[in-house]
Amino acid sequence: MSQVSGNIFSIQRYSIHDGPGIRTTVFFKGCPLHCFWCHNPESQKSEQEIQVVDFRCIECGLCIKNCPNDARKIVDDKILILKDKCKLCMKCVSVCMSKATEVVGREYTVEELIKKIITDVPFYKRSRGGVTFSGGEPLIQIEFLLECLKECKKNNIHTALDTSGYGTWSKFEKILNFTDLFLYDIKTLDNKKHKKATGVSNKIILENLNRISERNAKIHIRIPLIPNFNDTSKDMEEIANYLKKIKGIELVELLNFHQLGYGKYKNLQRQYLAENLKPIKDERIKELSEIFIKNKFNIKTR
Amino acid sequence: MEKHISYIERINNLSRTKAEHTGIKIKRGLNKKSSTSTDLAALDADDKGIIPPPEDFEFKLEPNHPSGGVFGPVACGSNYRKLLENHPVYIDPNSSLAGGYMFNFWEMSNPVKGKSVWNPDFDFSFLKEDQEKYGIIHGIGDPQHFYQDINIGFKLGWKGILEKIRYYKKNNYPSGKDFYKGLEDIVLGIQNWIHRHAVAAEDYSKVEENPVLRENLIEMARINRKLVTEPPETFHEAVQWFAWFIMSSLMYNGNGTGGAIDVFLKPFYDNDKLKGILTDEEAMFHLACLLIKDNEYYQIGGTDINGNDMTNPISFLLLEAAHLLKIPTSIYLRVHEKQDPKLLEKAVEILFEDRNGSPNFVSDENLNSGFIKNGYTIELARQREKCGCHWCNIPGREFTHSDLVKINFVSVFDVTLKEVLNSGNANHSVNNVWDRFVYHLGKAVEVAAKGIDFHIEYMHEIFPELVLDLLCYGSIERGIDASHGSLEFYNLGVDGAGLATVADSFAAIEQKVEIEKCLSWQEIESVLKNNYKDAENIRLMLKNIDRYGSGGSRADEYGVRISSIFTEIVKEKSTPKGFNMIPGIFSWALDTLMGKYIGATPNGRFANEPISHGANPDPGSSDSITALAIAVASIQSGYGNSCPLQLDIDPILGNEKESQGKFIAFIKAFFDLGGTLLNVNILDKKKILDANENPSKYPDLIVRVTGFSTYFAGLSKEWRQLIVNRIIESS
Repeated sequence: MSQVSGNIFSIQRYSIHDGPGIRTTVFFKGCPLHCFWCHNPESQKSEQEIQVVDFRCIECGLCIKNCPNDARKIVDDKILILKDKCKLCMKCVSVCMSKATEVVGREYTVEELIKKIITDVPFYKRSRGGVTFSGGEPLIQIEFLLECLKECKKNNIHTALDTSGYGTWSKFEKILNFTDLFLYDIKTLDNKKHKKATGVSNKIILENLNRISERNAKIHIRIPLIPNFNDTSKDMEEIANYLKKIKGIELVELLNFHQLGYGKYKNLQRQYLAENLKPIKDERIKELSEIFIKNKFNIKTR
Repeated sequence: MEKHISYIERINNLSRTKAEHTGIKIKRGLNKKSSTSTDLAALDADDKGIIPPPEDFEFKLEPNHPSGGVFGPVACGSNYRKLLENHPVYIDPNSSLAGGYMFNFWEMSNPVKGKSVWNPDFDFSFLKEDQEKYGIIHGIGDPQHFYQDINIGFKLGWKGILEKIRYYKKNNYPSGKDFYKGLEDIVLGIQNWIHRHAVAAEDYSKVEENPVLRENLIEMARINRKLVTEPPETFHEAVQWFAWFIMSSLMYNGNGTGGAIDVFLKPFYDNDKLKGILTDEEAMFHLACLLIKDNEYYQIGGTDINGNDMTNPISFLLLEAAHLLKIPTSIYLRVHEKQDPKLLEKAVEILFEDRNGSPNFVSDENLNSGFIKNGYTIELARQREKCGCHWCNIPGREFTHSDLVKINFVSVFDVTLKEVLNSGNANHSVNNVWDRFVYHLGKAVEVAAKGIDFHIEYMHEIFPELVLDLLCYGSIERGIDASHGSLEFYNLGVDGAGLATVADSFAAIEQKVEIEKCLSWQEIESVLKNNYKDAENIRLMLKNIDRYGSGGSRADEYGVRISSIFTEIVKEKSTPKGFNMIPGIFSWALDTLMGKYIGATPNGRFANEPISHGANPDPGSSDSITALAIAVASIQSGYGNSCPLQLDIDPILGNEKESQGKFIAFIKAFFDLGGTLLNVNILDKKKILDANENPSKYPDLIVRVTGFSTYFAGLSKEWRQLIVNRIIESS
């Protein structure tokens, strides 16, 4: 098996919202987009990080005592990481017995990851499920992703790629034959807005969508519904009209904004830009979903 | 003013009355089981259909022993008859069934409250030292836990049963004469009980203003007048007959096992349908009325002896009845490949919608293939029904004493570790601990087996199974009690408990002492002795290893090793008197009691804390429900009794049709892997945490504790905390 390795920050088994059946969702670390509402802040940086989970801390002070760089300090009763001093030596992680200080991101070989994925094959078989590679953006670890996809196909495991669509076409080209389903994010068709909210243009994203469709890919479109960003009927109508021209779309999912990522920002000592946003009301979601139903899309809301 | 009243309204009224009864039961501390609880009002056991007696009701038994106990078939029979003859009549005009039971006779007759029934003249102190040493719940004096073939009763009726007793009494005279006297008294008592209800129903009908309920009471009177002597002919009569039997049995010694209800009621259902005298709505209503009186341990959807699906309309109607009632129930769906898929769909839908911890799911194939390893045929295995918290039984033909004999793996481990550490040999090794653990486990099984023999030898002279004997094959015919050898098959259940605590302890010592060398044996000894005082870091170091349930860890391997060696030892030989034993891993609801007297363990467990639950990994050990399922499937004993997986999950995993479909796939995959029984709690974390603080705010909140469901508010503080811990640590 290939010796290439990848940085994974989470593996979620019995994942039931990332494609058909029971799935294992593998979260790749690193993302070229920086969406202000992102609920997986630990997915954004490609490198390993350290986080502190407050409620597990037993205040033994070992992290402070053992840090060779003086990067651990108590500030306002909380043990923090002084990021300018921390050299990610992981000493504090190794001495923490309560698992309050944790590494985010672990290097996996293809073999290690496939071993994990294969464990749940009996559940995939019964449910017609499989594996979903998500992130972050899996395409930025393309060689690792490709090898993982190939190994899954060798083992007859259904594969899905949850992608922002932001990557060179050559990357898509490589993985197309080994990807059974694309979970493809569309945020807005308004490029200006897209750039402002995510840090990147949507041009390449839409191009790639067209091209994978031409290559007969099966696609589930996922639209995160973010208050005051893309929750108008106009936004959704534009997207629906655009998608009508694209073949292979089996499903459109409208994913309501939620606040579940808030604690993770705290653990990573980062500011959450969507801290004050509230989820969109059910009735409004229903109204927006009607736009897609009218355009004859299968629709799912969450 | 006279008005129509629908079945749904009547069901709602019945549920409300049950809730009132539960409130009174909690207040008065009726049906309290747990001797570990400090909360006197706690129910801490199956919420069976017992109803509170009138406060001014007085009844005194006539003991026949200086200890104050009521012992032997004659005394048990005559006293129980007297109780039945004096039992207050209970008729709810909303119900289509008469009767309600108010007492636990076996607890009343017991001189030592809160313990198993026993006559001190039958001394088993010669076993006590080892029983205590190994933390054995010996089951001596514990009743029932096998069950009846109701078809015997359906065929004979009470008159026929009485005639059968008198026939064999005469034929076998003088053999079994005391036993027959006891049986006769039981039947006469039951007939009296039924008859008084027939009379009362007639009286009530004369004053009932609502025409629907008046008609109901008139019909109730007719049916019960008939059932005093005659066998049932219609579906309604059969359900009423069954209710009388099961209430008599519940009140006598706690046997509330329903069995394959969709099979034994089917001939009546078919017949009534053919005649056009029964609608599905009526049938469902009668089943709802039955569930109010006896809510637990029904199997649906099994197979016949040729492996064909037995799912029928009654299977669905029972689910619907439970769904409408919203009370604690234990309905076991026997899952197999030939089954009508709609039944499993319906069951999962109700599981998530009602959040009552029922239905539960058992694997037909794995139970059958396990049972035949005892040397039985597949046809016989298919007749063995899932009926108790985790056990099975061939109705009327098999004595199992299941779920009563427990070996506490943690006690055995504790004895072993102390012995090794005190051996004076400085060169300890985990292998050495393992070898001694196997030795002590062998000794523990031996002493449990001797206890089983002792029970079978003497129970019939103390508290015979007089009610169950009536509907078993062989007891009346041979004049011998079922607990003493009258039945065709004797397969005694012996369960292990606390698997995860021990597997994790082995793995923690191995990893931290032998492999990583972070700790010495002396340090282990010292922190355990001091109950981890000032050693929280060490405790967490030991606790946070990859535990049993994490998948592919050393602790997982130890889990399999412990289960395998336990199974091997139990199956190695029969009891000294030659009875077959069947292993399982299940601690029922005894986790707290079993941990109460054991010091700290190397898995980071503090002294006196509960041991791990049955075959389950400790909460928080697994990263997903698939990991849990794989772990529990891997440690199955595999001889026809189950090692259940207890799952506590968030409602979100089944809040829509699609996710319910995925949960069905999960159940099937768990069984593909070898799992036998799945109990599921759908727990809303926020609600449970609030209910733990304010139990009275949530009188209707139902949780599955283990093999049974009950009202959360009715549990003692310790038991509520156990449920809460499961949720907190899993999240």
